[in-house]
Formats: sequence, structure tokens, C-alpha cells
Amino acid sequence: MWTSTQRTRLALEHQLLQVHEFTQFSVYHHAAGDTYSASGYASSNAGYKYHLYIPIPAGFPTQRPEMYVTEPNPLLMTGGVQINSLGVSHRMHALTPHACGWVQICHWRDNRWHSGIYLHQVFLKGLIWIEAYEQHISTGRDLADFVRTMAETA
Amino acid sequence: MTMNDPQQQQMIRDAMKAIAERRPGRTKLVYDKTKKTIVAVAEGSEPPRALNITADDADMFGVITLSGQWLRQEWHRLNGSASIAARFTSWDNGDAYTHYELGPQGGPTISECTIALERASEPAPRLRIVLTKVNAVGRAGNTFVATDGSIFVATAYEHQDGRDIPLDVTIAEVQPALSARRAGILETSVLSDRSALFIGLGTGGGYATIELAKCGVRRFALVDPDRLSVGNVVRHPGGISQVGRLKVHVIRDLILEKNPDAQVDVYPFAIAAENMDAIRPLVRAANVVICGTDNRPSKLLINQLCIEENVVAVYGGAFRRAYGGQVLRVQPRVSPCQQCFVSAMPEQAADVEISSPDEAEAIAYSDRPVAVEPGLSLDVLPIANFLTKLALLELLDGKPTSLDVLRRDYSAPWYLWLNRPESGTPYSGMPPLSDSSDEMTINRWYGVGFERDTACPACGDFLNVTAAAHGIDLDSVVIPSKV
Ligand SMILES: [Zn+2]
Repeated sequence: MWTSTQRTRLALEHQLLQVHEFTQFSVYHHAAGDTYSASGYASSNAGYKYHLYIPIPAGFPTQRPEMYVTEPNPLLMTGGVQINSLGVSHRMHALTPHACGWVQICHWRDNRWHSGIYLHQVFLKGLIWIEAYEQHISTGRDLADFVRTMAETA
Repeated sequence: MTMNDPQQQQMIRDAMKAIAERRPGRTKLVYDKTKKTIVAVAEGSEPPRALNITADDADMFGVITLSGQWLRQEWHRLNGSASIAARFTSWDNGDAYTHYELGPQGGPTISECTIALERASEPAPRLRIVLTKVNAVGRAGNTFVATDGSIFVATAYEHQDGRDIPLDVTIAEVQPALSARRAGILETSVLSDRSALFIGLGTGGGYATIELAKCGVRRFALVDPDRLSVGNVVRHPGGISQVGRLKVHVIRDLILEKNPDAQVDVYPFAIAAENMDAIRPLVRAANVVICGTDNRPSKLLINQLCIEENVVAVYGGAFRRAYGGQVLRVQPRVSPCQQCFVSAMPEQAADVEISSPDEAEAIAYSDRPVAVEPGLSLDVLPIANFLTKLALLELLDGKPTSLDVLRRDYSAPWYLWLNRPESGTPYSGMPPLSDSSDEMTINRWYGVGFERDTACPACGDFLNVTAAAHGIDLDSVVIPSKV
């Protein structure tokens, strides 16, 4: 199902993560279903750990990959509301949550994504989101107040 | 001149004859308001205060139109039984009867008609066409040459209140008549073996399909998952009575209305990564791909397929509220592709019209909606027209026609059009159309050249260039396994 160009691209992505010192993240191959993902643990400045998970879609890199926070789950807002209960939310920069309840981080919108964007740039947006999330937790202000609209940056 | 003037009488007779035979005459009839009567005047001289009388004014009878192709197919049956039945759409209270077999979309009122070789037929049916054998082919549209070479003239009658009211008969030969109107620009069969794939049948895509059908393109593949809504009707070629139908079906029927011999295959599904395997063979079979969707993921997916299958694609779209628009032509690995365009001109690539709630939803958060801001059909059509012209040139590639002289004018990869100097855009300060000599204005096409990205991830050597830039040896990279 994967073209050789796709497999080579994923190898390149894996190596670029290492070159750019995103060594906490990696591309993985799952032999059972011949699928790929990219994932790893991110640490916030305050020292909390989050697991970011990107299942690689069949149309990658032309098709935009989705990025989820799989740990902690559920992810709470101030006041105890689960972020995933909001669905698609500009306030929290979140897209449709995963069936498992994982929050989907809005990195690039479909209408801004293109195949020139690398996975390390996607993970970078994940790290920015995590910092903004922690600012939200400590101030109660919307997460969107702390990140430039990611949709506008391409 | 008086009505007793014998020369005037002869002129009136000549003019009446010319009108009845629907041919131009040397004299014409006018209504002279001063004399309050009809007078005949020589062609070219115009009496003052007169009204022209044309063949339309003499059009007192209803018209019945029968398919010549159908009649040839049914000829053996007619010969065997002396009369056969045919269905006609009755339009405008019996003003026109059109053979139901002529096109794909008959009207709501059907009339049965008897087609007979003998005049006598008892009891007289309400509608009948009678074919009378003659010796020579005349020039009128009611002559029919049967498969055995024998020649007939058709007359038609509508039986009403015990009387026969004559109808003007036309035996329609569809393809010769259509080709004749294109002759000189597009030779009869030049496009009959060419195939066009349409992605997206909105206002622009729908318009392009119908225009190419008029040009004589015979093979169409249509991809669009949407149904025609009431709100679409102010822009879409489909009308209010078609609301609810899939757009691929609405457009298929409109194509067949323009070219009944067209072969139209419909695929009512979305352009999405999971459908790529279904779309790839359609791309491979096409001479050109015409993409009229306004969302980036579908354009980039089609771009990928067209590069892999080496098929030229043209992309057209309006800017927001259709203040202008753009057309991109991609010749795989020769000219810049959609991905090259997105990298080179990100602002232009992202300026799209939000013409439907689905498109608004695609770029909005649910708690922060984006307004649907469609432009006028009138402002979309110049872009659709240009898109169609580019597609036509691609379809004609390798076939000499009088349109070849245009190729030097359509050499750029990207074309820009502005309908108005929209505030908040770089074009708000343009001079008025009437004042400008060489500055940018509305209502002109601008061909814009830009370089193909040789390291483009879609059409270039992205992997090797990027790996080399980071000192990565791609052959030695091992992706770790994980359960
Ligand atoms: Zn390219």
C-alpha cells in the first residue's frame, strides 16, 4: 500500500527528527499491519510529560497527518472540563478528538497543509501547544490567547 | 406607391413567398404606420416610420421535430406495418413538439404521434406525421432519405375539433448540424477521441463541462459527491427543477443536451486519500484533468496523481467573493505544479472563495464560524471560460487546428484575473480601466511566469535534495519497529 517514495520520505522524516535534535520523537513501523506512526514523549518547561502520537495516513505527505495527545487522557481544562468534550474548538486549538478520547492538536489546517511540511515542524507545533495549555491551566485564559493562530502560519 | 400598383403587388407576392420558404428575399415587407398597411420595399431601402415584418411574424403554425437517426433505425418497422408510434414532448401548449428520443431531458407533457407512410389513417390520431414518396431531394428540412435510398417528404397534422391543423416538420440530423456550426475552427471529429476528467462540478467546473461538450468533446468522466441545492441554483448551470439530484447526474444530462453522442461516466465520490485508488485509473485515461474544487487537500491529491500519471491538469478558482480568480496549468515535471505554486505564492494559493457551508466548515472551528461569501456567477464565469480554453488547447494537442496560433498566448503556468479593485487586496489601488495604458486593471488576463521547484516534494527531487542538505544517507536510515 505504501509507495517506495512514501517509505523513503518516512525514512527521511525519521532522520530529520534526529538531525533537528527532536530525538525524543521517532517514526515507527508497525509490521503487523504495515503501518507507520510518529510519536514520543514531550516535556513541558514546567516538567510535565505528554505523549504525542501521529498516525501516518495513507496519503502522506500529500494528506495531512493528525496529531493527538494520548497521555494524559483525558486532558482537562481549568474547572475540570474535558477538552475532548468541546469537539472542534478554536478556544483550545483542538480538532475532532480521537475515538479513544485523545485531544487532537490543531497544527496545520487542511487548507494550509502541503507536502513541504516536515514532521519535526508538526511536533514543534505540538510543543508550542503544550506550553500554551499549561499557561491556560495556570491563568484560566483560553489556550488560543497564547498561540498565534496556527492556521495562519504556513 | 399604392396597393393598386402592380409592381408593388408583385413585390408583396415575392416577399410572402420568401417568408413562407424561410429564405431571404430581394424584397421585404414592412408595416407602414402612415398608410396603416403592409407595403413591400426593396432590400436596403428603409421607409421612415415602418416596422419590419420577418419570417417570425409568419410563424403561425406549430413545429414538430423528429429525429432522422431514430427514423432510420425504425425504418424497417415502419415499412413492415405502414405506421409506427413515437413520443413527443409537447411544449408551450402545443406550439412545439420535440421528439422524445432527440435528447436526454424531455419535457413533462408527452404526446403520442403516429408516423405513417400513407396519408389516410382512420380514425385520425391527434398527432401524425405522414411520409410521402418523392423523386428528388429538396432543400427543405422535412426531406428524409430512407436507408434504401428512397426519398420522402414529411407533413404533419394536429387533429383538433374535427379539423387537421398543419404543423411545420423538421427532420433533425443532430451530429451533422452540430458539427457544421463548429466547422472552420474545430474540424468534425477532432475532439471525438479525446477524454476529459472533471474534478468538482460547481459553477466553474459545471460551466467548463458544458462548453467542452459544445466544442465536440465526446468522452467525459465527472467526479463530485455533492447534490444540487436550492442555494446553488443562482450560480450553477443546473436549474431549480433539478434540486436534490447529484451534480454528476445534472451535468451529465446537460452535456447530453449539447452533445447527444457524448459518453459520460459519473463518479459521485469525494477527492480524498482513501479514494485515490479509484481515481487513479480515471486520471490515467484522461487527456486532461480539469479541477474546479476550492479546497487545497483535493487539489494537492489530484496534483500528486496527475504528476505520477503524467497527465496535464488545469486548476481554476475564484478569490474570496470572486473579486478575481486564477488558473494554473500543470505540465508534469515541465511547468510548476500545485505544490510548487503553494511554496512560491502561498498568499495567492490560500485566497479562495467560500461558496458553500461545507467549504466554510473545512476552514472554520465550530466555535468560530467562517462566513459563506460566494461571488456572483458573472464573476466566476470569466475564470471558468479561461480554464476551459486552456483545457481545450490541451485536448487539441497534436491535432492541427486554427486555434494553434493561440499557443504562444497561453505559455505561462499561472494566470490572474481581477473583477474589481477589492479593498484590502494588493489590487485596491488599480487605475480605472479607461485610464490605464500599461498598469494592471480589472478585466484583463495576466500570464505570470514562475519557476518550477526542482526540489518540490510533489514534482521534484525533494528526497535527495533534502537528504543531501542535511548530510543524510537515505539508504542507511532504518525506521525502528514497534508493535
Ligand atoms: Zn512541484
